[in-house]
Amino acid sequence: MLEGTLVDLVPFEDDFAIYLETWMNEEAWFRAHVWERREPHTEDDVKKYIENMEKNERGGLIGFQAKNGDPIGALIFDHEWTRVRKAEVRVVVGDSRYEGADEALDGLLMLVRYCFETRNLHRLDAVALPFHETWIEHLRRAGFVHEGTLRQHIRWDGDYVDLEMFGLLQSEWPGYVQKVAELSLQPSDIEPKPKPEKKEQKEAQPS
Amino acid sequence: MLYGTLVDLVPYGARFMARDHDWWNSEASFWGSMGDLQPMTRAQVERVHEEWRPHTGPRTGVAFGVQTKDGTPLGYFGINWLSYQHRVAELGAVLGERDYWGGGYGTDALLLLVDYAFETLDMRKVWLTTISSNVRVVRQMEKVGFVLEARQRRATVANGALYDALIFGRLRDGWPGYAAMVAALGLHPR
Repeated sequence: MLEGTLVDLVPFEDDFAIYLETWMNEEAWFRAHVWERREPHTEDDVKKYIENMEKNERGGLIGFQAKNGDPIGALIFDHEWTRVRKAEVRVVVGDSRYEGADEALDGLLMLVRYCFETRNLHRLDAVALPFHETWIEHLRRAGFVHEGTLRQHIRWDGDYVDLEMFGLLQSEWPGYVQKVAELSLQPSDIEPKPKPEKKEQKEAQPS
Repeated sequence: MLYGTLVDLVPYGARFMARDHDWWNSEASFWGSMGDLQPMTRAQVERVHEEWRPHTGPRTGVAFGVQTKDGTPLGYFGINWLSYQHRVAELGAVLGERDYWGGGYGTDALLLLVDYAFETLDMRKVWLTTISSNVRVVRQMEKVGFVLEARQRRATVANGALYDALIFGRLRDGWPGYAAMVAALGLHPR
């Protein structure tokens, strides 16, 4: 477990895997992935996605939870480019009560920390839909620089909308501890959700 | 196929693939990959060709060979990735024959490709990424009416130094068509 200030990073399994069956069909997921088609994800799709991310040598899927153990969402880095030491990052705030909260920001800071301070990457890319204001605000507070706007790049709900491009360099990152001290993060004291019901494993029927 | 002023765009068939070993080990590949130049054996090239074998389902890319009007293969121009939903197409190019750089051949190929993306595939936007040190492409982008939309700082490495990646885009609005662009740029058959 990687311990942060308001959140901890944990393996994406157990309750996270159950919650993902819901999260992958909700707006936070599609918006974070700039995925306007909003295709429904079945239980099998979700399982395969987790498996693919477990095998992904150029990326990873990490769970992040509040200090009281309440699962918040997914931290994703992907398309890691070894030659250049860069990757793309995104945060899915699965539990919408945490949207815009400092726990979600701490999730991003912890993802940056992991990418820079553990994986020794040199640069991180991030993209945002222009109306995803809480994500843009968190990118800015984390130190990401707006590097341009891809004009009318994405079809979204019948319009062609821009895609905002952000980047953060390792040389601009003061380190997690200093960054957190600058931001004075505040916990939102959200009550933990009831634990999801565990699914019973189907036993193989004798043929 | 697509018949231009200095070049034609044709299927990327055996005549072109036979040149890939030279092209992918040349300076053209360095620029096309934004700074990489991994030596590739003939066997590696063939394995890549195997992966290209036609597959079923909707295409997410379109590969053209570029050749002179008398049929000399010059390189690859194509759509690396496209989305019929967003109606955007990401372009890619490797003009392998260095002797043909700077003569308008690449510009003519680009005009044909952009026109194909807009008028045939009904795309709304084309875009591409290049390394900031590629002054030839940057100049070409300005000539053909692409706009610098994003500068990703220090996003690639070439010869031991970090360079920006430049993302250029051109919207279909205001595209006057291939013939008008050729006239505006003063391209003439040789």
